[in-house]
Amino acid sequence: MSRLVIGIGAEDRGDDAAGIEVARGLRNVDAVICLGGSLDVIHLWEGWSDVVIVDAMKSGAESGTVKRFDGLRDRLPTSSFVTTHALATGEAIELARVLERLPPKLTVFGIEADNVDLGAPMSPEVKEAVTRVVAEIDHA
Amino acid sequence: MTADREIKVDYLARVEGEGAMYLKLRGDEVQDLKFKIFEPPRFFEALLRGRKFSEAPDITARICGICPVAYQMSSCNAMEAAAGVSVGGQLRQLRKLIYYGEWLESHALHIFFLHAPDYLGYDSAIEMADAFGYRVASGLRLKKLGNKIMSVLGGREIHPINVKVGGFYRAPTRRELDALVDELEWGLEQALETVEWVAGFSFPDFERDYEFVAMRHPDEYGILDGRIVSNRGLDIPPDQWPEHFEETHVEWSNALHAQRIGGGSYHVGPMARYSLNHAQLSTKALMAAHDVGLGRTCHNPFKSIVVRAVEMVHACESALEVIDGYVKPNRPSVPVTPVASTGHGVSEAPRGLLYHRYRIDEQGLIADAHIVPPTSQNQLSIEDDLRAYVPQHAHLDDERLQWELEQAIRNYDPCISCATHFLDLTVEREES
Repeated sequence: MSRLVIGIGAEDRGDDAAGIEVARGLRNVDAVICLGGSLDVIHLWEGWSDVVIVDAMKSGAESGTVKRFDGLRDRLPTSSFVTTHALATGEAIELARVLERLPPKLTVFGIEADNVDLGAPMSPEVKEAVTRVVAEIDHA
Repeated sequence: MTADREIKVDYLARVEGEGAMYLKLRGDEVQDLKFKIFEPPRFFEALLRGRKFSEAPDITARICGICPVAYQMSSCNAMEAAAGVSVGGQLRQLRKLIYYGEWLESHALHIFFLHAPDYLGYDSAIEMADAFGYRVASGLRLKKLGNKIMSVLGGREIHPINVKVGGFYRAPTRRELDALVDELEWGLEQALETVEWVAGFSFPDFERDYEFVAMRHPDEYGILDGRIVSNRGLDIPPDQWPEHFEETHVEWSNALHAQRIGGGSYHVGPMARYSLNHAQLSTKALMAAHDVGLGRTCHNPFKSIVVRAVEMVHACESALEVIDGYVKPNRPSVPVTPVASTGHGVSEAPRGLLYHRYRIDEQGLIADAHIVPPTSQNQLSIEDDLRAYVPQHAHLDDERLQWELEQAIRNYDPCISCATHFLDLTVEREES
């Protein structure tokens, strides 16, 4: 089964780079980085059967908390994912669901962000979470 | 008797990034109106200081995931102006092509996913997709086409890495561009269909006498370079920008508001380009605009969605022309040797004029950088629109008024992420 990891986020914006750093850290699986808004995932995952999305989120949990969703079974919170662009990850996935454009398997990792200000460094808790998620995906 | 009415919205959906607006009403009279942008410190301008002149395109591309090409092109134009270099021929054509890709992906995103739900009465594109699945799927495919063009020329879709001062690191082969033709032909037909579709929406009866500002090029619908013109007689080269425009701090926002020196607000973006350079649109774009009765100018901001669709037609048709005439250049860039100088560069981002200015020292390092995104320039115009719109529509109930005000802000496709975060919308009413 062909597997693709999509790391969503924004560089230069602190913890919002969590998904990007996960995609960059992977060694054993194909990975792409999505910087231009989550809507692009719908064409990035075309042709892939097992898709993993990693994005920063703000759900009120402790910074660095990792939440895992089954993108096919769970209805994702549309407003929890951090977005500096028009459609958040949850919205893009819900849109794909309506259009029947979801991949056969979809897993979403949300990494709880703290500071997403422009120029902010990534917080230690999020860095640690990035390492954990990389290990979990790489060895799955 | 005076009764207060207040509407608060903590998050304005379907804009790029977030910001805030505050409106206070007494009856149908606007007491106070502030379009707030919480701009972080001028992070990127600071980041650029001390970096090599050649790094500006890659660094400024990071400002926005939706319009990185615009930042690259305005910075290249400024650096090349500082060095006294001109990039022409096929390299200039390739720059236009990647820029058409960006217009297409940005306009498709705004038309189908952010703005159309306003006209059709949906809260989001997700809800709209149930009844308008075909349209939403077409929007996705048009956006993907724009991304594909950017990827073929830029090396990757977002934050292209193949653009440099002087041209490109690598020029595409003829075959690589030919591979875009079938999808562009589909895109052209789809964009034409989109013009008809959005022209059929209902538009509030609202017009304003804007000062439109856009670039004008003698031979084409301005996108990459040219002079800065307005419908009130402005006609200047880019290096005179500081003599005609200023940015001011306002108390309620730490973002700068751009305005005409002595002239107040002005309007940049698709409606300005269309109203100033209408006759230079591609043939099919011109005919499409005519067929839906758009007229030679457009002063109703709610019709900006139609203008964006017309510009998608123009982008597809013009991209096909560039590909048709493409001959791979002998070298992918022209050499640029920095000299101690100041360079000004403008280009037409999807949302309007994007101005860059750099002072370069004798080592080719950036001593000073200044960037004015289109949304900063439109802030005052957005406020003026709301100030004019509210008295005519103050009779609406809070929910409807809020809906229409949000729509009025979205008319500008504000890319607040270029300059800011969170947008709250607050309407306070005092009824006398």
